[in-house]
Amino acid sequence: MKDASIDGLIDGLADDLEPVRPRRITRASLWVGAGWLAATALLLWFFGMRHDLAAMPVLSMLSFWLIAAVAIAAIWSALRMGLPGVGRDYGGWRWTALAALALPLSALFVGLGGERSAIEAARAGVYPCFPMALACGLGVGAALFIWLRAGAPTSPALAGWVIGLGSGASGATIVALHCPLDDVIHIALWHGGAVLLAAVAGRLALPPLLRW
Amino acid sequence: MSLDEPSVARLMAASQRGDRAAYRALLGDCHTWLGRYFARRCATYQIDDLVQETLVSLHRKRATWDSGRPFLPWLAAIARYRWIDMLRRQRNEIELGEGDVAIGAQDEAVHARLSLDRLLALLPAGQAQAITLVKIGGASIAEASRISGQSESLVKVNIHRGLKRLAGLVESE
Repeated sequence: MKDASIDGLIDGLADDLEPVRPRRITRASLWVGAGWLAATALLLWFFGMRHDLAAMPVLSMLSFWLIAAVAIAAIWSALRMGLPGVGRDYGGWRWTALAALALPLSALFVGLGGERSAIEAARAGVYPCFPMALACGLGVGAALFIWLRAGAPTSPALAGWVIGLGSGASGATIVALHCPLDDVIHIALWHGGAVLLAAVAGRLALPPLLRW
Repeated sequence: MSLDEPSVARLMAASQRGDRAAYRALLGDCHTWLGRYFARRCATYQIDDLVQETLVSLHRKRATWDSGRPFLPWLAAIARYRWIDMLRRQRNEIELGEGDVAIGAQDEAVHARLSLDRLLALLPAGQAQAITLVKIGGASIAEASRISGQSESLVKVNIHRGLKRLAGLVESE
C-alpha cells in the first residue's frame, strides 16, 4: 500500500478541517413538515376544502389514511437514508405501500363488477386531482431531495424511489382534503396514479443527482 | 488492529467540532481499519485507491455522522458505498471495452477472495468464472476467453452482468 501518499492525504484532509454542524433528522423533519403544510395551505387557499371533511365517507377516509401512511413511511425512510449506517433498515415504506395496493385492487374489482364500466367511472372522475397531487408534493419532494443531496444515501436508486413516493403520496393526501369525489376508481386512478408517477419519476430522474 | 468504538466516536465528535489533531488520529485509525476491510473484499491493487476514496468521502460527509449512533457502522456504510461504486465503474469499463488490460495478480489477491468467494458462489458459474479470471486473477479478456472456453464477448457480458448482480448483493448485505 502506498502509505506515503495516504499519509499525505490524511495531512491534507486534517489541514482542511473546519467545524461542521451534524445533520439532524429532527431538523430535516421540520423542513419536510413545512413543505407539507405550505402545500396544504396553498391548495386550500386557492381551491378550498371539501365541504364534508369532518363527515367524510368511510371509503374516502380510509383512502386518505392509507395514502398518508405511505407518505409518512416513505418520508421517514428517506430521512433515515441521509445518515448512513450498515445494518440500518430503510424498508418500512414497503409494508405501507403493500397495504395501499388495496386501493387499486378494490378499484379493479369494482370496475370489473359491472356496476358501471371503469372507463365511465374514470371519465366521471375527470377532475384535476392528478396534476394537483403532483404539484402539492413538490414541497415535500424538494425538502427530501435537499436533505439527501447533502447527506450520504448509500443506495441512490432506493433514495430516488422513496423521495418520489413520499412526494407523490403527500401530494395525494393534500389533494384528498379538497377533492369532493368518493369514487374508489377515481381515487385509485388519479390520486394513486399521481403517487405511482411521482415514485417512478423519482427513481428515473434522481439517482444520478444523489450519487456522491 | 481493531478499533475501539468509544475512542473513535470521541475522536469523530471532536473532529466535527474542528479539532485537527483528533481528526488526524481518527483518519490514521480509519486508514488501518479500511485497509483490512477492503483486503477481505477486493484485489490488492484496488485497496489503496479505495482507502483513499473512502477517506475523502468520510471528510466530505463527516456531518452525516450522528454522535448518538456508533461510528464504525457509519464508516462501514461509506466504505461499502465506495466499494459498490468501484464495482459499477468496472462494469462500465467493460461496456466501453477498457477491461482488456491485464493486471498482474499478486499473492495477496488470494486473501481478497476469502469473502468474495461467498458472494461469487451466488452468481451463475459463467459470471463467477469470468470475474474471477479477469477482475481477481488479472487475466486479459482474451486469456479469460481461452481458459474458460467462453467467447470474448461472452466474457465481457458475464463480467458486466456479474458485477451488476454483485453490486446488488453487496447493497442488500
